[in-house]
Amino acid sequence: MIEKIISELQRVIDKERVLWRKTDMMTYAYDASFATQLEPKEPEAVVIPLSTDEVQACVQLANKYQVPLYPRGAATGQTGGAVPIKGGIVLDMSKMDRIIEVDDENFQVIVEPGIIQANLNAALKKYGLFFPPDPGSSKMCTVGGMISNNSSGLRAVKYGVTRQYVLGLEIVLPTGEVIVTGGEKSRALKSVSGYDLAHLMIGSEGTLGIVTRIRLKLLPLPPARGIVLCSFPKIEQAIEGVRAVYHSGIIPSAIEIMDIYATRAANKMRPDLNLPETEALLLFEVDGNKDIVALQVKTISEALKSHTDYVKFSDDPEQCENLWQSRKIVGAAVGNLKPGGIRVYGGEDICVPFSRLPEAIRRIHEITNSYNIVCGIYGHVGDGNLHTAPIIDINNQQEVEKAKQMIEEIHHLAIELGGTTTAEHGVGIVRAPYMEIEHGQALDVMRRLKKTLDPNNILNPGKMALPT
Amino acid sequence: MKPLTPEQSMYTCVRCGACRDACPTLDITGREADGPRGRVLMARSLLEDRIPVNAEIEEQMSRCLLCSACVDACPVNVQVPEIVMLAKEKIAEHKKSPFLVRTLKRFFFNHLLPHPRRLQFLGHLLWLYQQSGLRWLVHKLGILKLFPDSAQQMEAVLPDLLPPSERKPLPSFTPGCSEQNKRAGKVALFRGCIMDVMFRETNRHSIELLARSGFDVVVPDDQVCCGALMYHNGQKDTTLELAKKNIEVFEKLDVDYIISNAGGCGAMLKEYEELFRHEPEWLERARAFCHKIRDISEVIVEQGTLPKAVGNGETVTYQPSCHLQYVMQVKRAPEQLLSRVANLHYRPLPESNLCCGSAGIYNLLQPKMAGDILHKKMGYVKETSAHVIITANPGCLLQMKAGVHSEGLQNSVKVVHIVDLLAESVERAEKQASTG
Ligand SMILES: Cc1cc2nc3c(=O)[nH]c(=O)nc-3n(C[C@H](O)[C@H](O)[C@H](O)COP(=O)(O)OP(=O)(O)OC[C@H]3O[C@@H](n4cnc5c(N)ncnc54)[C@H](O)[C@@H]3O)c2cc1C
Ligand code: SF4
Ligand code: SF4
Ligand code: SF4
Repeated sequence: MIEKIISELQRVIDKERVLWRKTDMMTYAYDASFATQLEPKEPEAVVIPLSTDEVQACVQLANKYQVPLYPRGAATGQTGGAVPIKGGIVLDMSKMDRIIEVDDENFQVIVEPGIIQANLNAALKKYGLFFPPDPGSSKMCTVGGMISNNSSGLRAVKYGVTRQYVLGLEIVLPTGEVIVTGGEKSRALKSVSGYDLAHLMIGSEGTLGIVTRIRLKLLPLPPARGIVLCSFPKIEQAIEGVRAVYHSGIIPSAIEIMDIYATRAANKMRPDLNLPETEALLLFEVDGNKDIVALQVKTISEALKSHTDYVKFSDDPEQCENLWQSRKIVGAAVGNLKPGGIRVYGGEDICVPFSRLPEAIRRIHEITNSYNIVCGIYGHVGDGNLHTAPIIDINNQQEVEKAKQMIEEIHHLAIELGGTTTAEHGVGIVRAPYMEIEHGQALDVMRRLKKTLDPNNILNPGKMALPT
Repeated sequence: MKPLTPEQSMYTCVRCGACRDACPTLDITGREADGPRGRVLMARSLLEDRIPVNAEIEEQMSRCLLCSACVDACPVNVQVPEIVMLAKEKIAEHKKSPFLVRTLKRFFFNHLLPHPRRLQFLGHLLWLYQQSGLRWLVHKLGILKLFPDSAQQMEAVLPDLLPPSERKPLPSFTPGCSEQNKRAGKVALFRGCIMDVMFRETNRHSIELLARSGFDVVVPDDQVCCGALMYHNGQKDTTLELAKKNIEVFEKLDVDYIISNAGGCGAMLKEYEELFRHEPEWLERARAFCHKIRDISEVIVEQGTLPKAVGNGETVTYQPSCHLQYVMQVKRAPEQLLSRVANLHYRPLPESNLCCGSAGIYNLLQPKMAGDILHKKMGYVKETSAHVIITANPGCLLQMKAGVHSEGLQNSVKVVHIVDLLAESVERAEKQASTG
């Protein structure tokens, strides 16, 4: 049957953009998740659409033949979200990447979903504007993927998450209709007219519709920034430090934490950084105009004085870059913690109440020690969001099994501490097992919504513990 | 030396996608298989015997430009080009190329490239072809039509060679000019093989430019080809021979640096250490050699002093060579030098990080992809409204010329090696000083 669909697809879409060869299918069988690295799932066909019409044609065909369809951005997701776990067709949206219009008078931009976050911001720079949510993957992930996962990142403390910037979407529904919600013609910055369908789509991980156009709110790009780096012998002191900074009346643009393993890894990769290897390293970033930055940097350093004796700060751009390096490289550097090991993504995105952060970090260390798995922790401490990075030899079956169990324990720990299993990376297939405990009756409402919008269960089936 | 071998680095790919936006072929088609992450996965599957050697995988592997942009972008340094090369080697083992192709290749790699004199002789023949009625005849008879479009284009843009009488050997010693400049050190020029036949003028200008920037310049006559073309065609033995010869020649000289003016050559020379990973008796010597390799722009910016230089009022843009920016890691020096030339308007080329599609003989083997890449590149060139495209590698120079040709811009856009532009600008400044 798939042959029939492929030949029908080729009638409406350029042959070169309808893929079906074996090697092509292999390359669409994964994203960045540990799960799909262990168990890749190949599609039967891939389409690379260039327009809403082409997307619509694919959805109509998928309904006609009842085959699953999976929207995909850059597949940098860590949950198997864009992976075709039930076969069918992957819609690679990454070539729909144009900026349709920069409306700088109204602080808005209209883009196609495949545009890469960093490329959008590079283009906005000359208008003195920016789209603030900035995942660690900003150089590779698409804005469409960010909307579907409601991504955030380093600067969420001050600027919030993707959801806060979406004014309107054009969506191809699972049944093939095209709707515009929070219209392209409207340039209003606020609206309470009707159900908020755009925000229903945000974070729905490609299960309720395919985003084909996006109207985003922008903010003025802060001209300057400053960094404060400090280190604490005990995690508790670090959390006290963050509290002291909040009480000084400043909202930093980012507050990041690195544990002793993460710091050690950064030192290994870049010995010149010469960071003190204590239980916790904190990085504060502030932004704004030059004078405000200088003042904020000074106030933060003062506020931290009674909690630590290691504070470094700067508002000089080059120095800042240097102080920020450890945070920038940590994701890659943790791989160095164990020769022959690689970092896997699993249990990597828990979020706990701020007050329970010290306990969370200590208990994660206990868990990882009990499995004898090296693991660095870093994250967005201002939000209580921790990224754990287990380093294992992925070719060692025993280690893989241990890691799986350990990841499970970390997820349960998050729930036990009154947190969530995922703060920004999403559910996909990886966190589906926890949906019931996290949502109870609300999961049932999600399932009903899915059924209403996608009666044939065409779009991204098998994800988020929705009906299969 | 690289911390991991290609085989090891193949297993460190975490599929994060950080390499995606850097890849020129992925930029054209958007197919995951045309990007680094897909290529690593396919190569690995092939090397682990999980997929068979067949035409499909061969085609997939041959679509990689081997430009190394992805390695530069990868947080864990996955050696994508080397991994693709491993896969290609495996494919080659299974598939003997036809006798004629093998013989021609052997002749070219073993009996031509390593021998400067034979190459010069070929240069004479090519000059003869260009000067005699033969070229006219070939064009008239439409013989070129038998070759692919890209080959026709290349024929059209080959530089006019200097006549044999003017292709004299490069001077073996040129003292640094110390009137304007303090002495910056002693360097040796790596002249390259093809470079020296086709772009003798650029080599000559390199010597002048280095000398005027304060360096004493030596050019050892017994140096040989860097081995890049052989290496990339799987002729490792020949490559090793050439490498040993070059190491011997240059270690006798007592110079501070060994200078390359072609990104491709420079990158290969820097790989020598890697070549001798398993030969301890050569490793130390190779390492010492590698530590002395510098690109000409880099050494002038860092150690020398570019004398006063004046341009012609033209608008220029710069297309970096992949090997220069990603393997040699020379990223800012060429632009820094350009910004020091008075009366020259420099406009950065958008997306200049992407390869131009030349990549050895990629443009002949993959004409469609190379053509698409080049077409896109020329679009960016048009955006800059430049009259001159500056390059730093002979391959890119020819490719950009082909681009200018195919877009019909011959009358408005020139393509120039950075050394030629700088040498001429310095000369112009001197003339102005003496007349004015
Ligand atoms: C090194 C690294 C660091 C990361 N750091 C962060 C971080 O700090 N914060 C964070 O939030 N995330 C982070 N991520 C996770 C990931 O990059 C983000 O979730 C990202 O937004 C996913 O974008 P993508 O384009 O790769 O989407 P994909 O992975 O391709 O897809 C993600 C989901 O979106 C859906 N989707 C994609 N495009 C569309 C569309 N047009 N319409 C409908 N659905 C669509 C897919 O079906 C899937 O469910 C990181 C990932 C890596 C590898
Ligand atoms: S090659 Fe490097 S950058 Fe690309 S996916 Fe693999 S690890 Fe990430
Ligand atoms: S070497 Fe160049 S063409 Fe090949 S995968 Fe890397 S970036 Fe792409
Ligand atoms: S890179 Fe230079 S020296 Fe090496 S083969 Fe090419 S032209 Fe000859």
